[in-house]
Amino acid sequence: MRASWLALGLVAAMWLLALVSGYDVVGDVDITHASAGPSAAHWLGTDHLGRDVFWRLVTGSRAFVGPGVAAACVALGLGLAAGALAGWSGGLVAVACRYVFTVVASVPRFVLVLLACAIYGNSVWTLAVAAGVAYAPTVGEEVYARMQAFRRAEFVLAAEAHGVHPARILGYHLLWVNTSRLAARHALQLFAFLLLVETTLSYIGAFGATAGFGVQEPTPSWGNMMGFEWGVPDANAWATAAPALALWSVLVAALGASQRLDER
Amino acid sequence: MRRELVLAVLAALGAFVAALAGVALLLQILLASAPGDAADLISDDPVLRAALVEAWRLDEPVLSRWLAWTVDAMGGDLGESLTYRPGQAVTELVLPALARSLVLVGGALVLSLTGGLGLAWWTAGRRSATRRLVQALSVTPVFLLAWLLMAGLNEAAFGLMEGGQIARPAWFALPDEDSWLKTLLAISVLAVGSSALGEIHAALEDELLRIQRASFVEALRVRGVALGPHLLRALLAPLATIAGGRASFFVGGLVVVETVLHVGGLGSLLWQACRLRDYPLALGIGVVAGALVCGARLASDVARITVDPRLSRAP
Repeated sequence: MRASWLALGLVAAMWLLALVSGYDVVGDVDITHASAGPSAAHWLGTDHLGRDVFWRLVTGSRAFVGPGVAAACVALGLGLAAGALAGWSGGLVAVACRYVFTVVASVPRFVLVLLACAIYGNSVWTLAVAAGVAYAPTVGEEVYARMQAFRRAEFVLAAEAHGVHPARILGYHLLWVNTSRLAARHALQLFAFLLLVETTLSYIGAFGATAGFGVQEPTPSWGNMMGFEWGVPDANAWATAAPALALWSVLVAALGASQRLDER
Repeated sequence: MRRELVLAVLAALGAFVAALAGVALLLQILLASAPGDAADLISDDPVLRAALVEAWRLDEPVLSRWLAWTVDAMGGDLGESLTYRPGQAVTELVLPALARSLVLVGGALVLSLTGGLGLAWWTAGRRSATRRLVQALSVTPVFLLAWLLMAGLNEAAFGLMEGGQIARPAWFALPDEDSWLKTLLAISVLAVGSSALGEIHAALEDELLRIQRASFVEALRVRGVALGPHLLRALLAPLATIAGGRASFFVGGLVVVETVLHVGGLGSLLWQACRLRDYPLALGIGVVAGALVCGARLASDVARITVDPRLSRAP
């Protein structure tokens, strides 16, 4: 648990460092030091254009941290609102909300994100909103189930008998007290999902024949850092190993932390 | 009982049709809500634009566009490709790709379910780190797993070729869509990567532990009956639920695995359609992908009801 939060804290630190560092992603090309190994000047060595791998790794965190938080906000906003509305109202409203959940969940998330990027343009913010919308039905269904379970619970009936306003019962007693852990778990899972989608799109988009989506060179992303070094002879191994290990570690940390929240 | 079963199956069938109609409408709304309109994204040429507006009924409301598209689709007409293979029927492009992709999705489902079941059988009730280990390894993204395997295979083949031990394999360094090795690789990567195996293993282990604590298992144990067949039978309904839920992830994963490994299919076709802004083709593939997910859900519901008829009486 602690290791998971430590890893996620490190990502947040990388993101802050990337914001204040002022690293020049276009100007940092030094062909005389191409594919160099780790040294005091370049902690993780350089890629085949002589660019510093450590700084590109740090800057690459900007491609998913902000959009990951935005995607979590979209998914939780839509999922909590629609799930609570369906569970609280019941009847036709619940049927309509759950039908929308089923329809959105019937399109595979990756397919929906790709279609959204093709239609609205390729940007990490389109990706964030699309990932949030694609994930919202999962949150909505769980919130609905919880609302159904607690709608007629004794503590809700007691609050109603004491004249507590319905908005306070829904917002505090049901949503805040009973779904905050659920929301935190889904926020972590969605963060992992967005990282996965962003790196995948950027990796595939790093090749000429399949370019078009994800973060494009020279802006770094952990995905395009790996794709850009694919097949380069005598490449610095850290140029691909570092983003791959970082990606795997953050995914393990985010999913591990979300599971511990589930178990507690 | 039989009447209840038939009604439950009919209800599942109705849910399938309603969900599929909703998917087509959702994708039409997505296209209609594009900045400007879909024809603007393709061309500035006024003649081509006017033709596109007429062909796609862009001057009509979304609902009538959706209705017309659905009527055409029911007759097997999903429109014509615009930029990928201009003029060719979308159905002609989608059907062969669908056949190839079904092999990958079906193979990945079978492999991940049998692998997950075997692991769950082995680890259930034991104190072991296997569950954590499987989950940690399975978290590896599909593209990274495919990349690692291809890099390893290429290196090994290159070493053997340099040593004169083998001739150049067909799949080496070139796209080879018909390679059985790449198909097998794609199935394995899809079945394991992006948490597929880890989640299926964890879900089946939890189910197995729940069933092992059930009173009927205790009774069988007291009578000295072999538990294996009874546990497997009780696991069929959860297996169907997991398979139905997992199909969506495998269909989404097709885009990644087919594009990275250069295996032709629905996923790589969708990538190219999106890249070239071939909207009729992308819409057709999106609806077919939705149909696969809804179809898997329908099959899972029917299987669960058949295996455990009590579920047909569930509210």
